[in-house]
Amino acid sequence: MLEIKNLKVRVEEKEILKGVDLTVKAGEVHAIMGPNGSGKSTLAHVLAGRDGYEVTGGQALFEGHDLLSMLPEDRARAGVFLAFQYPVEIPGVNNTYFLKAAMNSIRKSKGQEELDAMDFLELIKAKLKPLKMDESMLQRAVNEGFSGGEKKKNEVLQMAVLEPKLAILDETDSGLDIDALKVVADGVNALRGKDRAFLLVTHYQRLLDYIIPDKVHVLAQGRIVKSGGKELAHELEEKGYEWITGVEKVKA
Amino acid sequence: MTKMLEPKSLYLQTFQNRGKELAGKDPAWVKGLREKAMASFEEKGFPTVEEEIWRYTDLTTSLLQVPFGFEMEFTSKTSVSARLKGMGFDVEKAHLVVFVNGRFSKEQSSIKNLPAGANLTHLAELSAADSLKPVLGQVVPSDGRPFAALNMAYFTDGLILQVPKGKSIPEPIHVVHLSVNASTNTQSHPRNLVVLEEDSQALLIEHYLDEAVSPYLTNSVTEVRLSRGASLEHVKIQQESAKAYHLGTLVAKQAEGSRFASCTYSLGGVLARHEVETTLSEKKAECLMEGLYLARGKQHVDTRTFVDHLAPACKSEEVFKGVLDDEAVGIFDGRILVRENAQKTDARQSNKNLQLSKKSQVYSKPQLQIYADDVKCSHGSATGQMDEEALFYLQSRGIGREEARQLLVYAFAGEMLDRIPFDYLKHPLRQMVNDWMGAKP
Repeated sequence: MLEIKNLKVRVEEKEILKGVDLTVKAGEVHAIMGPNGSGKSTLAHVLAGRDGYEVTGGQALFEGHDLLSMLPEDRARAGVFLAFQYPVEIPGVNNTYFLKAAMNSIRKSKGQEELDAMDFLELIKAKLKPLKMDESMLQRAVNEGFSGGEKKKNEVLQMAVLEPKLAILDETDSGLDIDALKVVADGVNALRGKDRAFLLVTHYQRLLDYIIPDKVHVLAQGRIVKSGGKELAHELEEKGYEWITGVEKVKA
Repeated sequence: MTKMLEPKSLYLQTFQNRGKELAGKDPAWVKGLREKAMASFEEKGFPTVEEEIWRYTDLTTSLLQVPFGFEMEFTSKTSVSARLKGMGFDVEKAHLVVFVNGRFSKEQSSIKNLPAGANLTHLAELSAADSLKPVLGQVVPSDGRPFAALNMAYFTDGLILQVPKGKSIPEPIHVVHLSVNASTNTQSHPRNLVVLEEDSQALLIEHYLDEAVSPYLTNSVTEVRLSRGASLEHVKIQQESAKAYHLGTLVAKQAEGSRFASCTYSLGGVLARHEVETTLSEKKAECLMEGLYLARGKQHVDTRTFVDHLAPACKSEEVFKGVLDDEAVGIFDGRILVRENAQKTDARQSNKNLQLSKKSQVYSKPQLQIYADDVKCSHGSATGQMDEEALFYLQSRGIGREEARQLLVYAFAGEMLDRIPFDYLKHPLRQMVNDWMGAKP
């Protein structure tokens, strides 16, 4: 589903990603772990199409298409979703209106009929329940005045509504208490399926206790320096990142 | 190029001619007011950028380049009522009062039954009435106000709204000032008078529209007198075409416990200037001034507000927002004066602007002058560009960039739309703002 080959990315004058290779197949959940400043969030943002990143080499293919040449909205329409580490507050835009506009943009691009307000409301109410979200938040402005937990739940709600093929979760666990983390993890797990892939970007192993990954990669200094199964996450938790980045230094 | 007659002389000459036309029609006291006004204009001339409140609006490069005549023999080709319906106004529910080129149009207007003692008519009909003496030229004196002076000198007609003590006009009063012309430039100077007696209420909409082929000038003055406990909701919609030069002066004088709520929607005109003022002359009077201006191309929109806190325990709130695109210029100059006697004043003012292009310009100048010591006052001004973070967020959810931009502009302007408490206006104003955004070439 996603094939990243030797991806090199620069922000202003600084090279952040120095040749990342990663292949994610449909149905798989991959975790990208790594110390602060290793380039994890950059990878997530570049895949979603945020401005300000210069791709200096390599490529990223999504279902065989050149992802990096697509507009952000076209990536979303093709089935890529980024759950933001810091969801943006948009005063004046009602959450329901936003979700409906997003869903209908995607439906339209696929030649599907747009949902009317009533159908949409039914659909969204059903999606709210498992996330333990109150219906009142539909009437609030997008993320405005939401608590950290509410913002992250809202990201998962959007994901549940838009049903992407590839969901990239950027530090979705940060700022969550344990109860909220469980709810968010349950929301993600409910979406797991053979046609959908996940890329979990996280600093801590904690999230991976609730969303069990198929593969774990360690990103350090702009490269994936180690890949393994879910046990790698536990090892990292015990030994810290220096253990790997140190090995890498010796190798180099 | 041949040199045009210097603008001031041109206006003075026009007045001489106009004076002859109007002679014999005016009662002596009105004639006196007109002459005084012209003398005052002659003395002061047109405002220049040297004056602080005209600093960013240079008339010599805009309005004064264009001569305007007084040919007014045009009638509207279309039904104003039908046009309003097309905009989403449920006109059947309102009193419709239409002026064409500054003159009342009986055919286009439809005024319903009014409470006993209320007056909803036009100035030409009543200009002889002595009852207008304490109002006309009293709330907006001609001295020191060149355009109010020109208005006094030139007006042919305008709205009269009088509501007697304790009465309320439940239906909205929708006043349309329509400018119509063909191959010659035209001008009109509507003079509107609003008098609300004790504890009376009304909702007045001043709506400026045109069917213009050539440039024209609208120079309107609205004088509002609110007695004790009276409440006026005033909504101005300036929706003229790019042929319009619009100068509007709206001034209120408020007695004890009265309420004046004014909202100005400015969308049209190549030059639009809105002056909104009130004097809170007795205790516990309240005013709310709001505005939304949307401008693109080479539009120039200038808003000047003045709240004079003369008496104690009065409250004023101002919220103005602007969206500027292309090479448009937006100006907000808001002044709050809290005089020595105005203890326990609560005054707030806010101006926010959204610039959609690098070449647009915004000048925002909130001013507070406080001479009392026990007051609660605040003011703020913010001007920003489109929030790229928010744009990306919307795009990342599949919403196209242009749609996302519109959504964010609408969200910014929407705050003003959300504040409208009247069903009669809600939908049409939303539509108007939507159309404005969609009209971008």
